[in-house]
Amino acid sequence: MSVRWGMVVDLRRCIGCHACQVACKAEMRTPLGVYRNWVKVVQKGRYPNVSLSFLPALCNNCENPICVRNCPTQATFRREDGIVMQDPHRCIGCKYCIASCPYDVRYLDPLKRVVQKCTWCHHRVDVGLEPACVNACPTRALIFGDINDPESEISKVLAANAVQVLKPERDTLPHVFYIGADMVAMRTYGGAEERVEVDWVRWWLAKLGILRPRAQAGE
Amino acid sequence: MEQGVQVLYNVAHEPPLGVWIAVYFYFTGLSAGSFILSTLAYGFGLKKYKPIGFIGVVLATVLLVLAPLNLIIDLGRPERFWHLFPYLNIKSPVTWGSFLLTIYPINCLIYGYFMHRGNDKWTKITGLIGIPLAISVHGYTGFILALSKARALWNTAVMPILFLVSAMVSGIALMILVVAIRRLFAPPEERAQYHEIMVDLGRILAAAILADLFLIFSDVLVLLTADTEAREAALLILTLDFSPIFLGVELLLGSLVPLTILALPDFNRRMGWISLAAVLVMIGIFAMRYIMVIGGQSLPLS
Repeated sequence: MSVRWGMVVDLRRCIGCHACQVACKAEMRTPLGVYRNWVKVVQKGRYPNVSLSFLPALCNNCENPICVRNCPTQATFRREDGIVMQDPHRCIGCKYCIASCPYDVRYLDPLKRVVQKCTWCHHRVDVGLEPACVNACPTRALIFGDINDPESEISKVLAANAVQVLKPERDTLPHVFYIGADMVAMRTYGGAEERVEVDWVRWWLAKLGILRPRAQAGE
Repeated sequence: MEQGVQVLYNVAHEPPLGVWIAVYFYFTGLSAGSFILSTLAYGFGLKKYKPIGFIGVVLATVLLVLAPLNLIIDLGRPERFWHLFPYLNIKSPVTWGSFLLTIYPINCLIYGYFMHRGNDKWTKITGLIGIPLAISVHGYTGFILALSKARALWNTAVMPILFLVSAMVSGIALMILVVAIRRLFAPPEERAQYHEIMVDLGRILAAAILADLFLIFSDVLVLLTADTEAREAALLILTLDFSPIFLGVELLLGSLVPLTILALPDFNRRMGWISLAAVLVMIGIFAMRYIMVIGGQSLPLS
């Protein structure tokens, strides 16, 4: 059977050191402010029962990628081995793929003005090396390999453990599999974890200068 | 379970689509609406609406030339826009758009040309060809949002029809304003005719607003009772950041106030009040486009 690359993120081993994130920055030289992978860190509980949950995020190199379906210039495409590629010369920067991706792992390169993403370091994989993040992980929490090869480490790990993917309901068939991911880390927050309710009548009255804006707590 | 949850580190990339995209949706909507009104006389033979036929197609064409400029401005690499044609991907709604946005204005020009020359037969044919094109050119923008499945506010089946109905609403409102302006400069004996058209358009506008309100109601109600992300999207416009503009501008100012004006006897025959309703409706529909594009992307994905 042909090669199908996949990745396992074993959160029982992850210590949240961000080495994968740093390795990716060094390997891909991504500009300031954008990331091809990152480690989300969420704290939960109250003293003395507290813990940290980590969630390394990267492109899921989906089997049914919505970005590929929606790209109007075929700048993003899926290779036979499952890697979802991005052609920077073909891309026009319409950003529709970013709008379509449920995982927020695509970004507009602020310098080249085209979309970029994690490609599982295809330049390394093609010469027989592991992706930079996998290579850098000190606890071997990231496992990369051919899921079609029954003898590969990843196949054995996938067969022996309970695994899950992010947002399976989006029907993208992700190929980054998580072991032991925490619910509070998998939930989406963006920047903030608190939602602030807005009283829309007051909001407008304050905006129009009829009402003085209510002082924020702590001001 | 929820005790003391605090996000210590996370990455959220910038929202990809800017306000230009909202303006683009607004312009295509106005264009489609104006075009369909222009075919009332020349496509369907409703003689009464003849005075708005030509101005309708001029508006439709101008707006549809301006609309794609917004798209090109929003591109990261505007000079590569031509990649849309040789490297097209037929599965992508953006590709559908690159063809519709080319064919539709050409058809508008031909339709306008025949109307100007007084060739009734070909005006009718090109007008009738234009109707499905006008519907597609705005309907596909609804599919652009609905088919980018990441965003809960967009990923609903009601989106394309909601876009079409709101296009009619804003198109009728624009036409009312155009008729009001033309009436000012018309010779006195023609003014009564423009007044009649305005009152009629006001009635159609009221019906279109009602249809639009029903679709919004149905959208929000289903979002509230679907999955977690959908509920977040509904709360975003009902109680969170986008509620002042949704409840205040889109619903109250842009729908309920104009609907009241157009429903009250006496008010709905006065030029000033009908024009005011039309202005409010145009503001309200822009607010709807803005909430959809900007609000839809403000929901976190990571």
